[in-house]
Amino acid sequence: MSKTLMRFTGVGGQGVLLAGEIFAAAKIATGGEGLKTATYTSQVRGGPTVVDIQLDDQEIYYPYANDGEIGFMLSVANVSYNSFKDGVQPGGIIVVDPNLVHPTDEDRKMWKIFEIPIITIAKEEVGNVITQSVVALAIANTMMNAVDKKTLVDTMLSKVPAKVHAANLKAYDLGEKYAKEAMAKAV
Amino acid sequence: MADTREVISSGNHLAALAGADAGCRFMAGYPITPSSEVIEQMSDLLPKRGGSCIQMEDEIAAVAAAIGAGMAGHRTMTATSGPGISLKAENLGLAQMCEVPLVVVNVMRGGPSTGLPTRVSQGDVRQAKNPSHGDYRSITLCAGNLAECYTETVRAFNLADRFMQPVFVLLDETIGHMHGKAIIPTPEAVAAGVVPRKQFSGAPEDYHPYECESDQPAVLNKMFEGYRYHFTGLHHDKNGFPTEEIETCRKLIQRLEDKVMLHTDELELNEEFMLDDMTGEEGEVLIIAYGSVSLSAKEAIRHLRAAGIKAGLFRPLTLWPSPEKSIKKYTDLIKNVLCVELNIRQYTEEVERVSSRLDIEGLFKVNGRPISPYEIVSKVKEVF
Repeated sequence: MSKTLMRFTGVGGQGVLLAGEIFAAAKIATGGEGLKTATYTSQVRGGPTVVDIQLDDQEIYYPYANDGEIGFMLSVANVSYNSFKDGVQPGGIIVVDPNLVHPTDEDRKMWKIFEIPIITIAKEEVGNVITQSVVALAIANTMMNAVDKKTLVDTMLSKVPAKVHAANLKAYDLGEKYAKEAMAKAV
Repeated sequence: MADTREVISSGNHLAALAGADAGCRFMAGYPITPSSEVIEQMSDLLPKRGGSCIQMEDEIAAVAAAIGAGMAGHRTMTATSGPGISLKAENLGLAQMCEVPLVVVNVMRGGPSTGLPTRVSQGDVRQAKNPSHGDYRSITLCAGNLAECYTETVRAFNLADRFMQPVFVLLDETIGHMHGKAIIPTPEAVAAGVVPRKQFSGAPEDYHPYECESDQPAVLNKMFEGYRYHFTGLHHDKNGFPTEEIETCRKLIQRLEDKVMLHTDELELNEEFMLDDMTGEEGEVLIIAYGSVSLSAKEAIRHLRAAGIKAGLFRPLTLWPSPEKSIKKYTDLIKNVLCVELNIRQYTEEVERVSSRLDIEGLFKVNGRPISPYEIVSKVKEVF
């Protein structure tokens, strides 16, 4: 594949920035181009945050994802979901945490919406809410097949402290499992 | 050994790394979005290299401390955003008058006043030209991609020592915060290109720092090495002491002008993107943009060319002094000219002045959002 555009949205403080950096670094490690841009508000915590991730085989100029071209969006906050969903191309994939984000019926007709309780998985199954960004990373890559999995996991491990490697590996595996289940259910 | 390396980083972190690699050993700053990562990174880099980084009580103190280090003879920098430049303006004038080298990184955000702290803008282009009162010439560089956040900051340090004055490096929120791959020079290559500021090596009694050629900067020796002189913001004589002597005053300010304006060939740096096939025939489009907007312009040019419209980009990396002859050359050749800026006409007016044309089209945005490639494509199709 030549170009992948993904958008992660949440609210400030949730750690969505890190997932973008991991994706970009992993793509670059495979010889391609990766770029992450973030947009946030003046609020330290609680403001809508959006991270655009572009992965390409050729040089990327404009660093933001053009609205209407995004193939995948993941959202863990309703305010951000509503602000940024229109950037997703019709028929594109949107993953939401159903405890926090509430898509309308029209939304469900427009996009392929998957509901995965990302925060709950991180908090209760992994036991560390901070790992939600790695759960999200795994879901995105499983659904989009954007980057070689081993490269992505190695890159992820290089960016988190050694003492939480086990937790983050578990988070990745769980994200992958839930993504596969969600896709299987939809077919 | 290769003289470049690949890094994955952000624009702000690259600007900091460039400072450290270029020999900056003192930074004073006061954090402000979207520039804070520059001082955050320097607070990690500088102590490891025998330097110091200090967070002062405000922007004014920060630039004052940085100028002090420059007076003492060190490569020094500060980083801020537009509101910080407003506060630093008075001391930037002092540095111009005393001829103290200093690098000022300004990561632009929405203004005026506190504006839009987290959002992108190029609203400080006019401010960079004249942040302080009086006659002097600003040297202002502007990075248009990640690698240039590094290379332009390195260039700024070398120019500051060559011209003995503050040099601005303009980034913007987009460039400062975007994170990806950059191919940059190795630290060895940067070190090999460093030309330290001139020093006088004769007898101390023969040393007159401000007695120099009419188009050359002052020669300020490092402090505490036996060469004594005086700094003042007042008009001053060859030793730096205040004077109102008519010719001395005139020559001083004329020299501040001429040391830059008679040597613009050492300052000019442009990118000419898809301009080499322009012949001046009907229908050709010249886009003029700089900073992060040029990224959008390049993608727009890809689309325009695919649609059969012969478009190209002229991008100044040195904004001030402006590349007058190059702008004139292209605006003489190509009829359809579009300036794209995240402000209202701040550089377009310079293009109008230099080209002596009042039919330059503009695409401007001041709501803190970037200009997309599609907006540029639409504008080109609408106006030409």
